[in-house]
Amino acid sequence: MTIRMAARVALAILLVAAGAAPAQGQGDSALSPTYGRRAPALRGIAVDVRMAEDFGLRPGSVVRLSGTPGVPGDSVQIAAVFERKADPAEVARREYRIRTHVGHLQALLGLDDRVDRFAVGVPDSVSVDSAVARINHVAFGFRAHKSSDVAVQSSRTFRVVERFHKAIGLITVVASAVFLLCLLLLSVEERRRDIAALRLMGISRGTVVRAIVLEAALVSVIGSVIGAGIGWISSLIVNAHFQQVYRTPLLFALLTPEIFAFATLTSLALGIGAGTVAAWRLVRTPPLTLLGR
Amino acid sequence: MSMRVTLAFATLRRNPARTLLAVLGIAVAAALLLDMVMLATGMRESFRSLLLTRGYQLRVSPKGTLPFDSEATIDGASAIVAALRANPDITAVSPALGSTLSLPGNTFPSVFTLGLEGDVQGDYVLDAGTDMTGPRDSVQANAPLTAVVNRTFLVRSGKRLGDTMTVAAGLDAQLRTAARSRVVVLTGEGRFFYVPAETPVMALPLREVRTLLGPAYRDRMSVAMAESRRGDSAGVEAVRSWIASTQPRITAISTETAIRQVEERLSYFRQLAFVLGAISLGIGFLLVATLVTLSVNERRGEIAVLRAIGTQKGGVLRQVFLEGLFMSSAGIAGGLVLGLVTAQWLNAILRDFPGLPAAFDFFLWSPEAAWKSLALLLVSGTLAGLIPAWRAASIPIVRALREDAVG
Repeated sequence: MTIRMAARVALAILLVAAGAAPAQGQGDSALSPTYGRRAPALRGIAVDVRMAEDFGLRPGSVVRLSGTPGVPGDSVQIAAVFERKADPAEVARREYRIRTHVGHLQALLGLDDRVDRFAVGVPDSVSVDSAVARINHVAFGFRAHKSSDVAVQSSRTFRVVERFHKAIGLITVVASAVFLLCLLLLSVEERRRDIAALRLMGISRGTVVRAIVLEAALVSVIGSVIGAGIGWISSLIVNAHFQQVYRTPLLFALLTPEIFAFATLTSLALGIGAGTVAAWRLVRTPPLTLLGR
Repeated sequence: MSMRVTLAFATLRRNPARTLLAVLGIAVAAALLLDMVMLATGMRESFRSLLLTRGYQLRVSPKGTLPFDSEATIDGASAIVAALRANPDITAVSPALGSTLSLPGNTFPSVFTLGLEGDVQGDYVLDAGTDMTGPRDSVQANAPLTAVVNRTFLVRSGKRLGDTMTVAAGLDAQLRTAARSRVVVLTGEGRFFYVPAETPVMALPLREVRTLLGPAYRDRMSVAMAESRRGDSAGVEAVRSWIASTQPRITAISTETAIRQVEERLSYFRQLAFVLGAISLGIGFLLVATLVTLSVNERRGEIAVLRAIGTQKGGVLRQVFLEGLFMSSAGIAGGLVLGLVTAQWLNAILRDFPGLPAAFDFFLWSPEAAWKSLALLLVSGTLAGLIPAWRAASIPIVRALREDAVG
């Protein structure tokens, strides 16, 4: 049996006007006696910003919290509103989140001294692996895992999306390469008379090829810069849209200098390759044939 | 017309490398478009067929939650199930209780367990062996329970059908004892529809799972599936509304609602598919338009000769139009094959999503959507050739002939 706060707390939240007198504790789970000082009249909980917006909650608001639908539950006060983490694994999950004291939640759910998990810190001098091994050696009904292993497991969703994006990117690069080759081939062939004239004037094949390749490279770089501009504007739109859809600070699209450099170099390589192929096909043809004579 | 077709083919054959590249470019654009259409429509259809595998159109879960989205359970399950079964508009109700049971002395410590009623369960189909004991069969106290497990469970545990093992619940870490345990015989191997393929799962009779979990669970369920007598949307919605109004502590979700909620969660992929699909369409259009324009510019003299010997404007227009049509058709045919292959590859990538049911596909071949999208590409690719074709047909003959002769 585990505790899932967001899921187990029913949507039985009854708003009381902010500043209203606290509920009398009728039906509330008993507060722990605090010797030497007064116990707080109401327990405090923290709610996520999405929930606060949707229910019009703010620090000081009083709500009722119940582990079972239809049961009055406890009166609690909103003590804080917290921002959700930009976690890709949670981005599509729509449930609300609250944070409360573990003892309070156990009381709400009628659980006796149970928790989902412990976070255990070890001194720098102790090997994490050996600590995990020792805990698991004596464990009964629970299991220790390294935080790094848990992180790897919980980021699987993100890694799948990353692989998918790479695959789509590969298809797009292939499409771009073919498109570029087609265009260069045609644009170079369209100027076959000019090239023939150059060749007949004594300009060497190499010079002609270099000129065409240089032109192709220039077109590729200019295209990359324009593409990066479009990409940057697109990323702003994508982020604005999806951050609003999922109500998360997570960045969905990001144009970094590394990505720009990769795109430009890929484009440059494709341009040079396509330019070379197109130019070479033309300079191999005798100039008079190019002129149609 | 056959002459036009012959001429169009001859023109395309005259530059085989160029034509091949153009066709290849259109094929890649068509493949990407097809993939994105399959992605946009596939998730919805795949999820729908998954939910309706056994005909249950409604899911009942703890109020405010999706089925098995949390570990919340519904108390007073017997009364709720009885009330649902008493409704003449509901033909079947299948309650289920999900929990994790410990496997003392096993290669892996615990297993996700489904407590089900064998005669109405809709969570698995039996692939081998015999089914678990039904709820109405007498099960002697302390006699071994019968269980159906999935292939992953058998592989990871090293067990075979007929083997026995112990399942336990209510572990006390301080006393190092289990409050309740039972011997289980693995009688059947099942294919579970809603459980990820990599997750070991065991199905036991619902009553026995409740007993194992202790007094707090004696009348609980995690979810129930209900089948409406009327299969149409209105009929299902009427039953859903009735459940919602008569059972305030639970949420009833129809297949349509569940699909909508999953689509919300996966809207990123739908929108990505839309954007990339539109880009593919644009690339296909631009490619054909550019190629035909350059090709026509190259053949100004040739077209002028055709016009000089009496060919009508319409004839030239039709010929250039046919070139675009043939290129687009060949590219789309290649794109269809390429798209299906790449869809398999992309689907294999996305199926690695953790927690995804084994039967769920992101890319699904939907004939209507696929043909519509490819037809759209064909039309846009063909139309892309119309402007250059019109310009070609409108060339002033004398000037064009002179330019061609002089260069």
